[in-house]
Amino acid sequence: MMRVVLAVKERKKPFLPIEAEAILPSAFLDQEAKLTVWKGNKELPFAEVFAVSIDGEAESADDVEIVIRGDSSRIKRIGEYMDGGRIVIEGDIGMHCGNFMEAGTIEIMGSADAWLGREMRGGSIICRGNAGDYCGSGYRGEKKGMRGGSIEVFGNAGDFTAEMLAGGSIVIHGNAGDMAGVDMHDGALVIHGDARMVCANMTGGTCTVHGTVADMMPTFVRTGQVLIEGTEFTRFSGDIANRGKGTLFIRRWQYMD
Amino acid sequence: MSELLIKNAFVIDPLNHIRGEIMDIFVRDGRIVESVGPNAEVIDAGGMLTMPGGIDSHTHVCGTKVNFGRYMSPEDMRAGRTKRHGAMHATSGYSVPTTYGTSYRYSTMGYTTLLEGAMAPLEARHTHEEFNYTPLQDTMANVLFDGNWAIMEAVRDQDTARAAAIVAWFLEAVKGFSIKLTNPGGTEAWGWGKNLTCIRDIVPNFEVTPADIITTMIKANEMLRLPHSVHLHCNNLGTPGNYQCTLDTFDLVPDINRERQSLYATHVQFHAYGGTSWKDFCSRSDEIAASVNNRPQITIDMGQVMFGKTTTMTADGPMEFNLYRLHHNKWSNHDVELETGSGIIPVYYSRKNLVNSIMWAIGLELALLVRDPYQCILATDNPNGAPFVKYPEIIALLMSKAYREAELATVHPDTGSRVPLPAIDREMDWYDIAIMTRAAQARALGIAGQGKGHLSEGAEADIAIYPLRVGETDPSREYDAIIKGFSQTEYTIKRGRVVCRRGECLVEGVNTTYWVRPKVSEERNILNDEEFKRNFDRYYTVRMSNYPVQDSYLQRNVCIDTEAQL
Repeated sequence: MMRVVLAVKERKKPFLPIEAEAILPSAFLDQEAKLTVWKGNKELPFAEVFAVSIDGEAESADDVEIVIRGDSSRIKRIGEYMDGGRIVIEGDIGMHCGNFMEAGTIEIMGSADAWLGREMRGGSIICRGNAGDYCGSGYRGEKKGMRGGSIEVFGNAGDFTAEMLAGGSIVIHGNAGDMAGVDMHDGALVIHGDARMVCANMTGGTCTVHGTVADMMPTFVRTGQVLIEGTEFTRFSGDIANRGKGTLFIRRWQYMD
Repeated sequence: MSELLIKNAFVIDPLNHIRGEIMDIFVRDGRIVESVGPNAEVIDAGGMLTMPGGIDSHTHVCGTKVNFGRYMSPEDMRAGRTKRHGAMHATSGYSVPTTYGTSYRYSTMGYTTLLEGAMAPLEARHTHEEFNYTPLQDTMANVLFDGNWAIMEAVRDQDTARAAAIVAWFLEAVKGFSIKLTNPGGTEAWGWGKNLTCIRDIVPNFEVTPADIITTMIKANEMLRLPHSVHLHCNNLGTPGNYQCTLDTFDLVPDINRERQSLYATHVQFHAYGGTSWKDFCSRSDEIAASVNNRPQITIDMGQVMFGKTTTMTADGPMEFNLYRLHHNKWSNHDVELETGSGIIPVYYSRKNLVNSIMWAIGLELALLVRDPYQCILATDNPNGAPFVKYPEIIALLMSKAYREAELATVHPDTGSRVPLPAIDREMDWYDIAIMTRAAQARALGIAGQGKGHLSEGAEADIAIYPLRVGETDPSREYDAIIKGFSQTEYTIKRGRVVCRRGECLVEGVNTTYWVRPKVSEERNILNDEEFKRNFDRYYTVRMSNYPVQDSYLQRNVCIDTEAQL
């Protein structure tokens, strides 16, 4: 078992983002590798940004745990293409955390910025705080968002959560912003709080909203009532504007005036 | 004075009938000369295949339409990313790369001259701006006249001379090179939600037919003595059974130029379809090729489709709408006032799809069934059929029956019964390929006289040296070596300078734009035509004085003056 602790050093300009796609468990298997991060167009060695301490040894990525400490709110692309192991972020994390991730676990004790788990294939992400916009979505122009694995957000999520969702599951315990599940074609989205304009243009998959949906899309057809864990939900099918075959389970909703 | 000596080059230069000889090439100040001094820089080609720089006579690389392809497909920019390196700028994109990406990749393949296939005259500035950032190739632009109101009125009045005078003004105003007709009349009809099915339909409000437009413009083109012929994208692109429309169009073409063809029909693959619907869709390439074989006045390009992802973009707005309804993905539609329009959608050509497999076969059949390689040019209508980086694979397919059979085994199983490809044994040789990738283009575009496409004394020293040894490679079996060899030159030389070495572009480079200025007699000058000016001011949203592209948009440029018979 290997435990890597990366403590973010005090920075003069903490607002400047750092691109750190090198931070993933498999990267630490080779002790000789010289890992770098990017700040703007400058490539910096790890030691310039982090105080690194490594304990133990590991045979595979699954045996590696990375702990990120300090102000990591502007550090981007952590866990990109991650294929095993575990990353724990003690504070907040910057954009694009867990891009294309295939396996393993990322746990964020604070909040995550936009694009959390975008286009992820597998593994799981747990975010104890809030998630930013485009959580589990596809990047600009991409037709497939998250394809597998799970994302669980205990706080609120921003706009366009689960955009282009193509598989896997996303659970938001708080509220979601505008247009959650827009263009989703497969997979499952569960929102325990409120949401607005959910699942426009959806072609497949299911979305459950335990709170109230504001500005409900008029292009969904009501297809009956169902009980989920003792609570009554209304089932909708759509988006018929897109010949969609998705399913919504919604507790309360209101159409736009 | 800079001098260069290329030793031991195995030269194929079809315009000079050189079929493969070990020669030395001498270059001084960007031109080929008879000899150089003892201090010349020396490149030892070591017997490698050496040809004039490649020319693409129909590609969409610069302009509003291409840029909108970039806009609407940000996902395309995730492919093909390269870092800034040496003299090379950062690039990105696959089917619609950044201008530098286009330039570097063409240069890596030995291409030194490009013709932008369709420039809307009103939006010419954008094309010229992007030309300036395509530094390793010389460029020229086809100007769209397919739905030009003034032209259609002249056609209706059967006044060829007036049509020619209008063309002359537009070409000079927008610094264009030649006349392009894209679905003539069809895009104007599309402005009213309609399309034209073939050359005998009537364009709404103008009482002319595509046949009238095509025949008038062919005559007007020769009146102006333009270097290139009319460049035609036929009506009814991409619909089953459209081959008959294409044959009828070819029947219209007179043989009125001794130097070159009278009509360049582009991406004919998309116009060679049989059947009555997508269900009985099949190839009619044999009939199209037979028509071309009987008509020396026609030159075509393949418009080859290759499997994979790409973006289709054309001035043919209604056709793109039909494609959108098939693919149900994103779609862009654009109107250019009084002139033309355009449409763009991303597509994926799949081997598993029968229609796509047949399209793939048709392009190859056209090249193999047209006897004279000067009459069938290698092109994909980049990026419509495939991005140009696929050219080496197309070369290998044309040179190797075995490769075609191997590929045929991977496409939709019903393909073989719908196309003649399996029965075609022809394997093209190195000389044929040299014609189809540079010599035929130079002749068709009428730029051999500008020193393009050949290596005679006085020619521009645009030279491509490929890491291929003709005697030691058997193209019909070693098709992988052919693909590899044509994908990356050992040296690409532009105007006497090595601009690309094994894929590494070495200089910033400066593009040269070729444009045409026909000289028209004073009485025929359209600027003295009050009706033209009145209509221009009445219908355009720009003033006529603001319309022409300012000289500041062109960097290095060559103006080809022609003496019009007007």
